[in-house]
Amino acid sequence: MYNVKDNTFLTDLEDGQTGVIVSIVGGRAASKRLADLGLNPGTAIKVIGRIMFSGPVQVEVCGSKLVLGRGLASKIGVELK
Amino acid sequence: MIDGGKINIVLAGQGNSGKSAVFNYLTGLHQHIGNWAGKTIEKREGTLYYKDYTIDVLDLPGIYSLTTYSVEEVIAREYIIHHHPDCVINIIDSTNLERNLIFTLQLMELECPVILALNMIDLAKKKGLTIDFRKLREILNATVIPTIASRGSGLTRIMDKVIELRGEKTDYRVHRYGKEIENCIKQLSELLQDIDLPYPVRWIAIKLLEKDNDITGLIRDKRPEVLERVKQLSQALEEIHGHDSSIVIADERSHLASRITREIVKITPHRKASLNDRLDAITTHKFTGYLVMILILGGMFISVFSFGNWLSGWFESLFKDWHIWWNINLGTTFLAALGWSAIESVLALVQIAFPYILPFYIILHLLEDWGYISRISFLMDNLMHKMGIHGKGCISFIIGFGCNVPGCLSCRIMETKRERFITAVLVTLVPCSAVSVIVFGLVGKYVGLLWALGLYLFAVIIIFIVGKISSKLLLGEPVELIMPMPDYKTPQLKTIFYQTWDSLKEFVFIAAPIVIISGVVIQAINLAGWMPYISSSLSPITVTWLGLPAITGILLIFGILRKELILVMLAAYLGTTNFGEVLSQQQMITLAVVSMFYIPCVATISVLWKEYGWKKALAICILEILFAIILAGVLKRILDLVF
Repeated sequence: MYNVKDNTFLTDLEDGQTGVIVSIVGGRAASKRLADLGLNPGTAIKVIGRIMFSGPVQVEVCGSKLVLGRGLASKIGVELK
Repeated sequence: MIDGGKINIVLAGQGNSGKSAVFNYLTGLHQHIGNWAGKTIEKREGTLYYKDYTIDVLDLPGIYSLTTYSVEEVIAREYIIHHHPDCVINIIDSTNLERNLIFTLQLMELECPVILALNMIDLAKKKGLTIDFRKLREILNATVIPTIASRGSGLTRIMDKVIELRGEKTDYRVHRYGKEIENCIKQLSELLQDIDLPYPVRWIAIKLLEKDNDITGLIRDKRPEVLERVKQLSQALEEIHGHDSSIVIADERSHLASRITREIVKITPHRKASLNDRLDAITTHKFTGYLVMILILGGMFISVFSFGNWLSGWFESLFKDWHIWWNINLGTTFLAALGWSAIESVLALVQIAFPYILPFYIILHLLEDWGYISRISFLMDNLMHKMGIHGKGCISFIIGFGCNVPGCLSCRIMETKRERFITAVLVTLVPCSAVSVIVFGLVGKYVGLLWALGLYLFAVIIIFIVGKISSKLLLGEPVELIMPMPDYKTPQLKTIFYQTWDSLKEFVFIAAPIVIISGVVIQAINLAGWMPYISSSLSPITVTWLGLPAITGILLIFGILRKELILVMLAAYLGTTNFGEVLSQQQMITLAVVSMFYIPCVATISVLWKEYGWKKALAICILEILFAIILAGVLKRILDLVF
């Protein structure tokens, strides 16, 4: 079952939900950095937890845990799986 | 007799891959830690004698890719290209294989001899991952050896392989990209065929398509016409794939890493959540995470300070008679007194380094090796962002509470110059253990413990405000936190020992010379009888504006050496340790606030100087002096209303 919404970002996912990255809005430096860590369009990404008041998000990508600042996480467009 | 010859190897890998453990195991105490030329990034080198060979080992900085995102990455890549090491040992965290393989693929593109060390293979097994390393060997046609660096297992096999492969031409399969990309690479390679650069041609072509700034700059100088072609080709790629060409390439690389991982890794899923996952969930939870953090950090500070006070007191009673002994045997001449002040400085350093800094480092490195430090960065990122830096900066603050010197040194973990500088400035405002002596010895004892704790809160608020202002003043985009979260693992005594040793050594080397020299200089001024003039010339500030006794002018000058001297010398000048008789409560609070902020101590200034140049170090000192004077004066007037 797919729940496809336009403009869903990583920050919109609930804890425990998994999405697939569809786009990364942002500068080339940040996108490149994310790509080097394995975050590319098409990659599955699971939100593990987050800190309140726009704190960072903890995610799981390619079997590794990663922490992303909220500003960055809000630029990663995802599709809910 | 060692005559087998010399071999150069470098260790490369991502952070948390156990690279340091490998380095320590191989080189033991035959290590040399310096800086990369012109950079404030640590360069760790060591030597290993193995089977008649002298093997020089260089530990490259822990990095996540070989692009030019950070200084460390540039250093690593330039070193490999220009120094032609006999072998690059790629330390891979087996529990995060896929992410680590992306780096491996980049490393192999440099066409240097690579040996892959599948490290922490035991932890991978525990996680339910079975890795078919023979298959990985086949796929990449490169040497792959499973290792457990903390126990040294697999490392001799790597060294045997290093010797065996020495001088052989590398013949591993360089991975191929998709058809369109390969086509672009081929076209560019043909154009670049005879270019006079030390890099492999295929690698230059890939980097041009990845829009690497450094390489594009080099080609602009040598073959500007090629860039036109690069532009056309990347545009074509972007049209096909819908992304920037640099992303297209990174994308294919990581998909390749993902494909390889799927081929070689079998996952046995755990039925129950592992201990690691449960511990992680508690320590990063939005409520319990903070509770655990407060308990851990609180416990750390309480144990360090209580142990420190005990040991420092012990040292004090040990050194008590030395001054008398010195005076009896060498007299009280000008030179003898100067000599004593040099010795006194060394003793003072011993009294700070061993009781406070040493246990502090041990606990810190224990938390780091365990994997907890990254959790603090995660929990504090939010608050740190309000000051224009990200969560990792919090670590420097915590260290700064012990001592500002290692606190400022640790700012190196921040990615950009701007963030390093902001963090360092803020660390100098963190009340270190010496300042705590004043706060508790004066305010805590004579005004009340709540007032002392209030001063700490006040310091935190000041740091927050200064951070907010400096992040606005210093131009530049704040960097977002991107940080791999390591799994918890059993801390290794050996790793903690080596790291503590390194940190302590660095502290002593940086602090000792400047503390001794300035101790002697100030003593010389004192012996020359100039101090009364200084204190009277400072009295408009100390007496009129701050409402303190004139003597504090001298104390504050001595306090630059070590902050707690303010209290020690106060007792010496007054001939009593009952400060309640000579200072009012307002005066105590004012003096404590001035001591907190008025200037970093000399050892900290020397670090600022070394890391950011004398201009910035001087600017920080002047600004902090003005800031502390204004702040304490205003506070004094408010306190006058309260008391």
